[in-house]
Amino acid sequence: MRALMAFTCAACIGLAAPTITEAQERPNLTQLTEILDDLYSSEASIARIEMTVTTPRRTRTMRMRVWTRGEDRALILIESPSRERGTATLRRDRNLWNYLPRISRTIRVPPSMMLSSWMGSDLTNDDLTQSTSYRNDFDGQVVGRAENGRGWLIRYDAHEGTVGLWRRIEYVVNEAGTLPVLARYYDRRMRLARVMRFEDVREMDGRRIPTRLVLEPRDREGHRTEMRYVEMDFDANVSESTFSLTQLERRR
Amino acid sequence: MLGSTARLAWRNLGRNRRRTALALAAIAVAQTAVLAMDGLMNGWGDSMLDTLTGPLMGHAQIHAPEWREERAPDLVIDGVGEMLDEVRALPTVQDAYARIYAPALVAREVDGHAVIVAGIDIAAERSSGGLLEGLPEAGIPTERGALVGSSLAREVGIEVGDELAVLGQGADGSMANDLVTVTGILETPIDMINRTGIVVHLALAQEIFAMPDQAHEINVRGIGGADDAAALVAALGGVDGADQLEVLPWDELAPELSQMLDITEIYGLVVLFIVFIAAAAGVANTMLMATFERRRELGMLLSLGTTPARLVRIVLTEAVVLGLLGVLIGTFLGGLLVFYQNQTGIDFTQWGDQEASVDMAIYGVNFSGAIYPYLSVSDCVPGFVGVVVVSVLAALWPAAVAARLEPVEAMRG
Repeated sequence: MRALMAFTCAACIGLAAPTITEAQERPNLTQLTEILDDLYSSEASIARIEMTVTTPRRTRTMRMRVWTRGEDRALILIESPSRERGTATLRRDRNLWNYLPRISRTIRVPPSMMLSSWMGSDLTNDDLTQSTSYRNDFDGQVVGRAENGRGWLIRYDAHEGTVGLWRRIEYVVNEAGTLPVLARYYDRRMRLARVMRFEDVREMDGRRIPTRLVLEPRDREGHRTEMRYVEMDFDANVSESTFSLTQLERRR
Repeated sequence: MLGSTARLAWRNLGRNRRRTALALAAIAVAQTAVLAMDGLMNGWGDSMLDTLTGPLMGHAQIHAPEWREERAPDLVIDGVGEMLDEVRALPTVQDAYARIYAPALVAREVDGHAVIVAGIDIAAERSSGGLLEGLPEAGIPTERGALVGSSLAREVGIEVGDELAVLGQGADGSMANDLVTVTGILETPIDMINRTGIVVHLALAQEIFAMPDQAHEINVRGIGGADDAAALVAALGGVDGADQLEVLPWDELAPELSQMLDITEIYGLVVLFIVFIAAAAGVANTMLMATFERRRELGMLLSLGTTPARLVRIVLTEAVVLGLLGVLIGTFLGGLLVFYQNQTGIDFTQWGDQEASVDMAIYGVNFSGAIYPYLSVSDCVPGFVGVVVVSVLAALWPAAVAARLEPVEAMRG
């Protein structure tokens, strides 16, 4: 009996041993922060994204093309469904405009509406104008192993006095410390407000990235927004003039 | 015997007329004050209730469950036309309106402003109790027209004739966007509409926000007024399809308002109580003085064979007659005062800062015009009962003192 137990234990240790050695290599915080900051960013990019919004009562899928340049220029053009085709959102710095082809009008989103939903999704207008920089705005810390034992828990606390929605963002990253698995966003009162899951890691245009992002707000049960990268070009040639109001209105 | 007791008591009251008159005046003034206060509170309470359960609130509302918390555009009442017909046919229902409240962005040029687009039955809501009560027929917007709240129009610089882009979320999750033409600027007693409201025809709102034969709210006014809201809700519960929806009376829709009214009532009771104490002190003082002053005389009565019990009766009768007379005079004067106020109305907006505002706003609802105090018979009753009870209580001590007098000593003293 005792012999059997000893054998089992030995077997367990034997099995666990490689993970333990690997686990002892804590990920490098600086490196990790850089990875998280630059995961999807590039000088200029063009992507095609499919967004699925689920509410307790329905599910809607939209397809869109996204042009970006640097940290603060973005243009999102809805391609389907047909009712919204041609609708565009332009971001320049902290400003957001919506172009509505049906009435050929452009509306700037006022600051008071920044926390409202963007296109009926769980993303807010604010999400589109925020460029979170973990390097500059947060204090990072490798807390230890993730709760479920796989990967690492990284905690970012917003600098004192930083204006922003989130006081703390927690990441669970993979074992190697190269990709995020999960992010938890805590609001100013330290309540868990939303959870983002990073799934379906694939190589796209030479980068290994999670190609499906699932956002679940905690205050609204049954709501979920899924963003799937269908195409990605990280080294696109996108001119500054793409992000102008006239261009927005001319594009039809 | 009783007759002579009353006569004695009455004559005693006439002895020191000045004192009796003062006591009567004290009681009368107290009752007048109580009635004036009651009248004012009745008028104020009614005006408050009327305004608070006014156009925006109604007496009862029907919604999809959870709409009030979430305000999600897709939490709608389906088949609203048919349901509205059924609601209007109920005998307890005075009127009912279907409404759409859709948050949206509105832009005159490029800058968007957060507004609430209210899709309502504009023609019907012009009648008494509707959101647009008093709107002249010429003010009804065109099919694709819109009325803009006055503060909103001022702030954004919207003028009649402007074309506004409206961007919101449709009930089906799609982007709702359209153009409407401003046909009028709206000034209502409801701050929310003045500050953020764009009012359009129900049909246009249904089209813009992809809500065919749907609405967010059915607003109901009952025949029985705000006090009968519970019965109204019970009747509404029987309407086809209402079991899937949330039917609530105004006091559950806005518990803080009904609490406020309750508190006002309690405050009134406290004042009433204080006034009674003052009246009681007046009666007690008069009776004490009257008894002690008449020691000699009471001693004489005792020595002539009057029983102590009869003395007590005489003193108590005196007190009650004094009290009742005072209350009667007070009721007459108070009634007259309240009647006068009722005829003229009290315009308390005059008391405020003329320049600041013409209206008073409470909970975002503007009170305009005057209040009309009134009394019901039940308002006079507490005065009578209270004064009689207080008079008897206040006279008990002097009566007991009188009954225990030693005749000889009393006469000597």
